[in-house]
Amino acid sequence: MLVAATADPRIKRTYALAEAKRVSNQLKEENKEVIAEIADNFNWKLKTIVNPTGTPIYDFALNFTDFVKNAATIQDKKWKLINRILLNGEVYLTKTETSRLLEEEVRRYVEKKLETEVGELPPNILTRVERLKQLFFQKRGKTSWEEVPKEIVVVAYPPCIKRLYDTLSSGRHLSHTGRFTLTTFLVNIGMTVENVIDLFRALSDFNERMTRYQVEHIAGGRGSRTKYIPPRCDTLRTHGVCPGMDDICKTIRHPLGYYRRKLRVVRAEAPPSPRV
Amino acid sequence: MSKIETRAFIQDKFAEYYKTYSSSIQPPTHMENREFAFLIFKERIMLRHKSFKNPDDFRNLLENVAPSDVYYSSAHYERPEEEMEAKGWLGADLIFDIDADHIPTPCNKQHDTWTCNKCGATGRSASPERCPQCGERKFDDRTWPCEVCLESAKEETIKLIDVLVRDFGLSSNEINVAFSGHRGYHVHAENELIQALDQIARKEIVDYIVGIGLELDLLGVGRGSGPNLDDAGWRGRIARGTYEFLNTATPSQLGEIGLKKSVVNALISQRERVLESWRNEGPWRILKGVGSEGWKRTVQKAIERQSAKIDTVVTTDIHRLIRLTDTLHGKTGLKKTSVSITDIERFDPMMGAVAFKEGTVRVAISEAPEFTLGDRTYGPYKGLEVELPTAAALFLLCKGAARVAEEALHV
Repeated sequence: MLVAATADPRIKRTYALAEAKRVSNQLKEENKEVIAEIADNFNWKLKTIVNPTGTPIYDFALNFTDFVKNAATIQDKKWKLINRILLNGEVYLTKTETSRLLEEEVRRYVEKKLETEVGELPPNILTRVERLKQLFFQKRGKTSWEEVPKEIVVVAYPPCIKRLYDTLSSGRHLSHTGRFTLTTFLVNIGMTVENVIDLFRALSDFNERMTRYQVEHIAGGRGSRTKYIPPRCDTLRTHGVCPGMDDICKTIRHPLGYYRRKLRVVRAEAPPSPRV
Repeated sequence: MSKIETRAFIQDKFAEYYKTYSSSIQPPTHMENREFAFLIFKERIMLRHKSFKNPDDFRNLLENVAPSDVYYSSAHYERPEEEMEAKGWLGADLIFDIDADHIPTPCNKQHDTWTCNKCGATGRSASPERCPQCGERKFDDRTWPCEVCLESAKEETIKLIDVLVRDFGLSSNEINVAFSGHRGYHVHAENELIQALDQIARKEIVDYIVGIGLELDLLGVGRGSGPNLDDAGWRGRIARGTYEFLNTATPSQLGEIGLKKSVVNALISQRERVLESWRNEGPWRILKGVGSEGWKRTVQKAIERQSAKIDTVVTTDIHRLIRLTDTLHGKTGLKKTSVSITDIERFDPMMGAVAFKEGTVRVAISEAPEFTLGDRTYGPYKGLEVELPTAAALFLLCKGAARVAEEALHV
């Protein structure tokens, strides 16, 4: 309840992850029956496989919907559905892998539980909540998504953005996903709405009213007032926006992450350029 | 006749169709939770956020409004008539769109034409970046559903169905397949477990079908070994794709994927032995000179051939609008036609999707390539007035390739 009371998403996430890890560690010791029972609690469609002698490998077969719900957020390639054995709607898993997936389910479960709003609290509890927040931020530092420097550094664009940018500047057509990715990226690194709109002027079917509406919407100035961020790298891969990875790409998962990292590299390498 | 009068004529025909057939048009499942949308002929605007409590109200609208196109949401909502943010998303069917536009075809889209909006210059296949005559960048593109394009879209659809059934375990009554009425196919999968999947989970399904993120090591390819033909999932697909490719590949096709000459020669001269080896442990180590790099390139080709070319954006979008089966396509006058999984091989879209079976219309055709509709082949036409069966005439009118001839309107 203390964690829920902080109303801070990062504290909640950290707590949920720790709880989930704790559960998954305990699960490693348990036998198949216990794991199957816990999975059943979360309504998983899980079948226990009875291995014929001599062929161990898999312990469980899990319905693919339960698999993708939990595995899609795990980064390692062996958790991608395409790299699994999928037959008749079921993904084949070892006991350890099943526990790892249950960990994701537990994490989401705890996170959801923490979403509840906590009402008025007595002062002595409130001080403890404040103390918890303080401790957390001392340990973590207060970095967040939006913290990107003000000026725009073109050489720090990731390959995908560079390509979209060049395509657009030369007046060639961009897919919807491409336009969205480029616009969200530029708005998030601090380009003004006007400057983004100007980029789109090169297009043959440019329509100022429409473009302005969409760019402003993405920048959070209209409608739902949410500011959008670009899709993650693997989403860009799915939609064919990713032109292939360079060395920095291999260390990040998000175009904005690339930009921040490359900025550091650029700054370290080059002293401020002399004025001409 | 003018453009506007031609459009009114098309709408009258659509109204006729809906008056005759609306009782046999089935609204989607969970009708009351779907958003409906209609493209209106006259104003060319989209009526959105409509909802219906019962099939009769829906059918009445079809008859009275006679829209150019009819869509419904793949999503189910608590309040489908509200604005997007307030709808209350409950779940969505899993949908796939396979469109000839996304598939490289042998006909190279030679039947497609463009017209420069400024100077009127025209050309074949997709429009260029700039008009070669005046440098303008705005074009009027006209695409045609040709037999070659439609056949390749069908092949992709068959591959997709195979993955959905064998790997994803969907049964034939959970899958609906339909010809879209224009240039491709729609596949619709519906069951309770799938409904709830979010965009990230759907992206995993897309990656599986398209073959993205595949790690050969994890699938047992490399270091002198590889999967067998009857393996499950992508392992088996890789093996079958490799087998089929090596079975038919010409030396130049093998060269195109970047294999060295010596490797190409080895694969061609010992083709029998390679194919034969699949009875045992496969070809992965029997040929000298086809190193792991050679096999990787071959397998990449196999993956490309085994993956189904779906529109990735459509499947990951959980708020998509999709055309309703048995309604008319405004660009062709053909109807979206459902096809059973067992019949798809034999299905001929230009036969099965014909909605207008009676009467003739006299039309003035500006230009149209040869096309087949029903059991007849028409054209090519250029600057010609001719009396055509209603379906063929409407097809050209909807495509904007013809106008209704003067006299026809006065009859």
